[in-house]
Amino acid sequence: MKTYVVGSGVTKVDRHYDKNYLVLIDEAVGKTLANSGLDASDIEYLVVSTAFSESILNQADPSTYIAQNLGFRNVKALTVSSGEVSGAVALDYAHALIRSGKASRVLVVGFEKMSEYPSWVINRVYAKILEYEVEGIKNVAPSDYAALIMNDYMRRYGVSRESIIKWSIKMHENAVKTPHAQLQFTISADSLSKALRISEPLTMLDSHPTSDGAAALLLVNESVAKKAGTTPIELVDVESSVNLPIYLRDDLTYFSATAAAYKRLSSRNGVKLTTNTAVNVYDTYDIYGLLTIEALEICARGEAVKCVDEMPYLNVGGGLKARGHPVGATPLYQVHELRELMSGTSWIKYDGDISLAHAMSGPDNNAWLILLRGWV
Amino acid sequence: MKHSISIFWRLKDNHYKIYVTKCGDCGRVAPLKRLKCPYCGSRNVEHIESRGFGELINYTVSYYRTEGSEQYLPRVVGLVKLDEGPVIIGEITDVDLNELSIGTRVEAVLRKYSSEDPNGLIYYGLKFIPVIKK
Repeated sequence: MKTYVVGSGVTKVDRHYDKNYLVLIDEAVGKTLANSGLDASDIEYLVVSTAFSESILNQADPSTYIAQNLGFRNVKALTVSSGEVSGAVALDYAHALIRSGKASRVLVVGFEKMSEYPSWVINRVYAKILEYEVEGIKNVAPSDYAALIMNDYMRRYGVSRESIIKWSIKMHENAVKTPHAQLQFTISADSLSKALRISEPLTMLDSHPTSDGAAALLLVNESVAKKAGTTPIELVDVESSVNLPIYLRDDLTYFSATAAAYKRLSSRNGVKLTTNTAVNVYDTYDIYGLLTIEALEICARGEAVKCVDEMPYLNVGGGLKARGHPVGATPLYQVHELRELMSGTSWIKYDGDISLAHAMSGPDNNAWLILLRGWV
Repeated sequence: MKHSISIFWRLKDNHYKIYVTKCGDCGRVAPLKRLKCPYCGSRNVEHIESRGFGELINYTVSYYRTEGSEQYLPRVVGLVKLDEGPVIIGEITDVDLNELSIGTRVEAVLRKYSSEDPNGLIYYGLKFIPVIKK
């Protein structure tokens, strides 16, 4: 049984001080149902994705309270929490429900409220994506690892610090054209020397912002998809893999979990990514975006900086860097942006048959891939 | 930040000492006392206490601010290749940034990780300093 996306909706990614998570989700779900032609009473499963609701909102299992507050009656509700890949895991679960025939209409909702506390509090929460007993207890930060990886990449391949920022420049250019993106302004390489340092040589210009947001996707089986009011996109396959921790890796510059997941996905579905394929990858830090397009075999190792200009459909929504990173919702934003691209409602025209979303927790610690195909 | 006292007590061999885990099957050595070899999954492992000396192979000067970390910033966080072979993540402290470089010989010392507040618990663990020449 095949899975199709027949509706999607997102809020603007921002620091929404005036809205709680329910208000954001209500907006995203409203848009999703409106463009799918279905309503809340049609939904069988409500799968909610969040990485940090327990830490930030003191709320365990928000799916229950989303269902109670947003008018979902007789729905099966559950919460998925798996670090930065929560949204991808939620989609995989929904995909499995449809494929197995256990459900025909599953609403996947992702959200995060990262702006509820000052950054020094939220920074501690975000660092929970690393292993507490080894790294968290020593105050090792996610950005510290990005800096170490960037150091190794520059040394190994002779890549300059200034050239890496090309990634972020492109992401901001794409965000300007994306209404729901958080950082809708352009940046230039000249700003690098003045940018706030996070973990040297990493600066604010290399990093994702602090983001709130909610996104929803409606997944259905083929018979429901045929009656949908919009052109469905097929969710073809999901694949993933886990890497060793950074300090056990022989080569910091190779995202082997992403590479292993891609090899399996590619072989099983007979697809190969090129510079002209639409991909939406995790660029929590720009160096991670570069390493990801190398692990996905789109660019040769050490050559990603040169590839960036040759990839017109790379993170068309601005990536985590500039669209923002409402963690539990981010993979859903990615799929929403790819759906818009493949259905002709994005700011750029795309003729490709397939597209790929990539999510990962930390530096490739846990990598997930979602393959999409246009309606045939 | 508050930590559990029982967790800290349980982790004493990995934060008050440095152990490495040597695999009897694949032969690889990994930092920390581990139940199983992280490379091959074997339970046939031996725990060896490290002398705590090594070489700094990569580092960053970090300004990442978290609650309670303000007084320690900037911090140097780096990868240290222990003399016993494996690489460990840790903080490099008591160091002049102008004199730090890749290849610096370092040794483990007991230092403060963090404290809850002026009247709260203080959490200690191992960090690295440049080797003191005798």
